[in-house]
Amino acid sequence: MNLEITLTEEGNQSIIALAGEIDAYTVTNLKETFDSVTKKEGQEVIVDLEHVTYMDSTGLGVFIGALKSTKESDSELKLVNIQDRVYRLFQITGLDEIMDVKAAIRGGNE
Amino acid sequence: MNPQSCVNINKEWDIVGARQLGREMAKEIGFSTVDQARIATAISELARNIYLYAEQGKISYEIIYNDSRAGLCLIAEDEGPGISDISQVMRDGFTTSGGLGAGLPGVKRLMDEFEVYSEVGKGTTIKTVKWLR
Amino acid sequence: MENFFKEKTDEYKNLLAEYLEQQDEKALYGVELVSKALIKHNILPEEIINIHIKALKELDPNLFGAFEHSLEFLLEAMISYGLAHQEIQTLREQQIALKSEISVAAQMQKTLLKTKKPDVPGLDIGVISVPANQMNGDYYSFLQNADGTIGIAMADVIGKGVPAALCMSMIKYTLDSLPKESLPPPAVLHNLNRVVERNIESNMFITMMYAEYNPETSKLVYSFAGHEPGYFYRAAEDQFTEFSTSGLVLGVSEEVEFEQAEIEIDEGDMVVLLTDGVTECRDGDRFIEIDEVLDVIRQFTHLSAQEMVQEVYRYFERLQDFQLQDDFSLLILRKTV
Repeated sequence: MNLEITLTEEGNQSIIALAGEIDAYTVTNLKETFDSVTKKEGQEVIVDLEHVTYMDSTGLGVFIGALKSTKESDSELKLVNIQDRVYRLFQITGLDEIMDVKAAIRGGNE
Repeated sequence: MNPQSCVNINKEWDIVGARQLGREMAKEIGFSTVDQARIATAISELARNIYLYAEQGKISYEIIYNDSRAGLCLIAEDEGPGISDISQVMRDGFTTSGGLGAGLPGVKRLMDEFEVYSEVGKGTTIKTVKWLR
Repeated sequence: MENFFKEKTDEYKNLLAEYLEQQDEKALYGVELVSKALIKHNILPEEIINIHIKALKELDPNLFGAFEHSLEFLLEAMISYGLAHQEIQTLREQQIALKSEISVAAQMQKTLLKTKKPDVPGLDIGVISVPANQMNGDYYSFLQNADGTIGIAMADVIGKGVPAALCMSMIKYTLDSLPKESLPPPAVLHNLNRVVERNIESNMFITMMYAEYNPETSKLVYSFAGHEPGYFYRAAEDQFTEFSTSGLVLGVSEEVEFEQAEIEIDEGDMVVLLTDGVTECRDGDRFIEIDEVLDVIRQFTHLSAQEMVQEVYRYFERLQDFQLQDDFSLLILRKTV
């Protein structure tokens, strides 16, 4: 299974749209993409997870890394359109409390 | 008697010329068909490295003798970017050709002796010898 | 070696002559054996073609020119295959060496992380922890406190294999260094979080739960740090309910408060603790749901706790075609009296 990454940059906003599965095998490219945008000052990084069907703990780790890195560079990280199964991971791990995460509207958790 | 020659590598087509000369010399020394093919493949690899990473350089050929045994010595020289970690490029599985078994470890396997000198920013020299069996 | 090569070259020539004459299967079987013997002695494909060319020349000196050239061409084409073959051979040897190194490390890890199931009258404990690869990123431990209470720790390091296993030792030593008097579970997690946060890379974390069981009051006090919820089976209602507390995983932030909650356990009740290797099991493309895990557990409730966890593991091992995707740990605690 692959992970498709589409990065759109406009001014201070970077939108990363993901499609596929985020796991130990696909995580390397995602990490590189995050590194390229989260280190810039004053950025708003929006990650669209609408088409992410699966994420494992290694994937979560990359999001934690991205969160720390945006904080250091006075940037913001927002996760939107998260599917139920993936959203559950953020809830269990307590990351939904420290991250700006929004579930997908259809069949949402909130 | 110590015939020496040299081929400049500036474009991909020069790889063929380099192979050609190497094969002719190998034949002259008396290498078997298999060894001729091995030498040609090693030359290909050295010439491709020059062409791909240094853009230009040269390969010199020399017939050498050791206790009445003849051999062919190849020296590939370029003034390209150099290799920062030689052990890494000599490791199997690292080949930039996508792990097709070639690369420098491949050259080392095809030949009998192999030495590499490289300085980052200055260039690379590879010396390799095949002895007549 | 020289003799062997000569012998096989002659054999090849004779078999080829036989085949050219009669096209019989016996010669083809013969060449199969020769080829295997040659592989065993690391003879490369281009050399076999050379043997072929030589044999053909000796058998038929008037060999058609273009045909001979075509074989030379094939020989040239085989050189790179030969190189690839040699490379794979070397990589295979390195892999074997690496594997044996890891298996020594895995053995060390097992010894290092060994924990003894506490012997508590009226309490039946079963536990299993199987790594997906050789080294385990899951961890469980039992602590026998001076006041008679029992500590139960279960943790899962992000990822698996060697990096996860190295990280695991950190949990083990921090737990070992805690004072002998029992600490409230949130305090235990707080201590661990401090150590982990300081020593872990930015994209790593550990999920963990810590519980303390008091045999006198039959109460289980617990606290979760981003770990998979536990399940409590109440025998009187024949039903599983999820239990957890909210809390962030270990290693992300130093200022985290952990909560505490408790359940009272009656005779026949069970507490199920697990890692995501259990809940994230996949059956082909389908993810299994937690209800399926609980249903499987329910099937084996007539067995002892240890037999139960083993049977449940066997079930999911089979479901995943004996190839675990993640480390799998399951702990069941049942009150028998």
